[in-house]
Amino acid sequence: MRGAPILSVRDLTTELATERGRFVAVDGVSFDLYPGEVLGIVGESGCGKSMTALSILGLVPQPPGRITGGRVLFEGRDLLRLPERELQRIRGAAISMIFQEPTTSLNPVFTIGDQIAETLRRHERLGRRAARARAVELLAKVGIPAPAERLDAYPHELSGGMRQRVMIAIALACNPKVLLADEPTTALDVTIQAQILDLLERLQAELGMAVVIITHDLGIVAEFAHRVLVMYAGRVIEEGSVDAIFDRPAHPYTRGLLASLPDLEGESERLVAIPGSVPQLGELGPGCRFAPRCAFAEAACRAADPPLLRVGDRAVACVRADRVDPAGERVA
Amino acid sequence: MSGPAGSLVEVEGLAKSFFLRSGIGLRRVRRELRAVAGVSFTLDRGETLGLVGESGCGKTTTGRLLLRLLEPSAGTIRFAGREIQALPERALRPLRRRMQIIFQDPYGSLDPRMTVEEIVAEPLVVHGVGDRAARARRVRELLDRVGLATAHADRHPHEFSGGQRQRIGIARALALEPELLVLDEPVSALDVSIRAQVVNLLADLKRDLGLAYLFISHDLAIVRHLCERVAVMYLGRIVELAPKERLYREPLHPYTQALLSAIPVPRPGGRRRRIVLAGDVPSPLDPPSGCPFHTRCPRVMELCRRIEPALAEVRPGHRVACHLHAAPGGVVAV
Repeated sequence: MRGAPILSVRDLTTELATERGRFVAVDGVSFDLYPGEVLGIVGESGCGKSMTALSILGLVPQPPGRITGGRVLFEGRDLLRLPERELQRIRGAAISMIFQEPTTSLNPVFTIGDQIAETLRRHERLGRRAARARAVELLAKVGIPAPAERLDAYPHELSGGMRQRVMIAIALACNPKVLLADEPTTALDVTIQAQILDLLERLQAELGMAVVIITHDLGIVAEFAHRVLVMYAGRVIEEGSVDAIFDRPAHPYTRGLLASLPDLEGESERLVAIPGSVPQLGELGPGCRFAPRCAFAEAACRAADPPLLRVGDRAVACVRADRVDPAGERVA
Repeated sequence: MSGPAGSLVEVEGLAKSFFLRSGIGLRRVRRELRAVAGVSFTLDRGETLGLVGESGCGKTTTGRLLLRLLEPSAGTIRFAGREIQALPERALRPLRRRMQIIFQDPYGSLDPRMTVEEIVAEPLVVHGVGDRAARARRVRELLDRVGLATAHADRHPHEFSGGQRQRIGIARALALEPELLVLDEPVSALDVSIRAQVVNLLADLKRDLGLAYLFISHDLAIVRHLCERVAVMYLGRIVELAPKERLYREPLHPYTQALLSAIPVPRPGGRRRRIVLAGDVPSPLDPPSGCPFHTRCPRVMELCRRIEPALAEVRPGHRVACHLHAAPGGVVAV
């Protein structure tokens, strides 16, 4: 629909070793990211959304993690098979990432100017003075007041919102084509979150980069993303445009998530809760991972894990997917 | 035992300062952090009051002061008509049974070495309620009440999911049949699909047991769902307090308006105009002069920088602390 994808993830599988054995944290995840697109990956804790992003950039700590299969295609190359030296040239430059907690991603003993300049000197081979000048520009671009004076500040001297702006400045330093944003506003208060979302929206439009936003907040996906992947227990269970998925969710889990949210407007009725709890990675059966909590589960759901299949305007991993009618109501 | 005004809780001018020491030698300074800077509100029996605001606004401190888990620096707290802000611990004890708290973190607030039965029975033991058999019966009743199986009684907290652990905490809080529950971000640590289960449980308990809740949260959608009235806090003050319908439909304080507009709505195209406030919340160590919100207010006036507006009733039940909405004859000129 928009030419060739800029990033293609195919059958990505990442395992984690724990005290209780090895578990598949990311289980055969596939998706395409198109230039200039904002893709949301949404799901609850432990669904594998962050691990997917870390796997793409080879940032999964090994051990305990291990990428056991799949391909991540970027500009004709498989990132999973690149030597670390090559990957380093891409990471933080053509593809960069921002995290939930800027406090832990910024080095407390270096000034923010040093940290931005480091990225520029490494990737863009800028000299000291040029890197400093560019750092001031970047801080101004992310809305940091008095950027020249801020260059010599240490991370602890900044508020949480300001630190996240610095992280964004570092991520944008080399004009990335892809930005992976992992819960970038989760640690922030709601008025500061609004500032950061506003900034990301503006920068995305201005720079035309593709963004993957990983979040548990369906509101952020609805407002910011064009397309959405819903993950559950390591798998993508539904994928489609934000309009399609939010207006007519097909997978019972997606429906359940949307129905369980209280509304800011309208009548407040009793919330529709999803029974049970998110499965631990060690306790997955052979069938659909959502089956134990699903009101529609039938024998076939417990027999085999349904594949992600295209049905109309979306892809959905549900045995009953072919019985989902376009109006979003289940037939039979 | 009911208070003269009929309210279960009446709080007036409640304040709490913490003192921080910094510097060394001659430059040693003692700085005052006014976490709560004079808040007043009432809570009726069976009513739910939401206390909302961003981190550092004083909502958690207010909840703890109310239960005397922290000692107030100023103000009065009346519980069931009785002033409790200065009661000695001994005199406070019988009242403590009637007010309980539930914390955000269901992991940190349960002793990992105790069984569920021991955890839920603990308040009964401490207050010497019933014999062993009666307590065991009561624990089973409580577990059933919060949606846990009796078979869970012998297990330890780590064997439960986050949502179940929060249910254990709720069962413990209900053991002594309190009239007031302070709920401090009770569902914030839970996954989205679990949150609704606990919110529904809290709604059921309130309806069935006639509990009053002080519901502290940063999640305005859940507050709207559970509460009858809502108080918005900013830098240690209540800046707006109104019945839920009014507050969400017609917020008057520019901070409330910005806060409501900033919440992402899980509905494509449902997006309202986001009011993006400039800057950060000022430090409570160095609060601004005048209105505490004037440094970020999109509608700031000269007056706001000098004079702090009082929380004044502008319509029945709707109070706001803002010079834009001064009550008739309200503002004292300088």
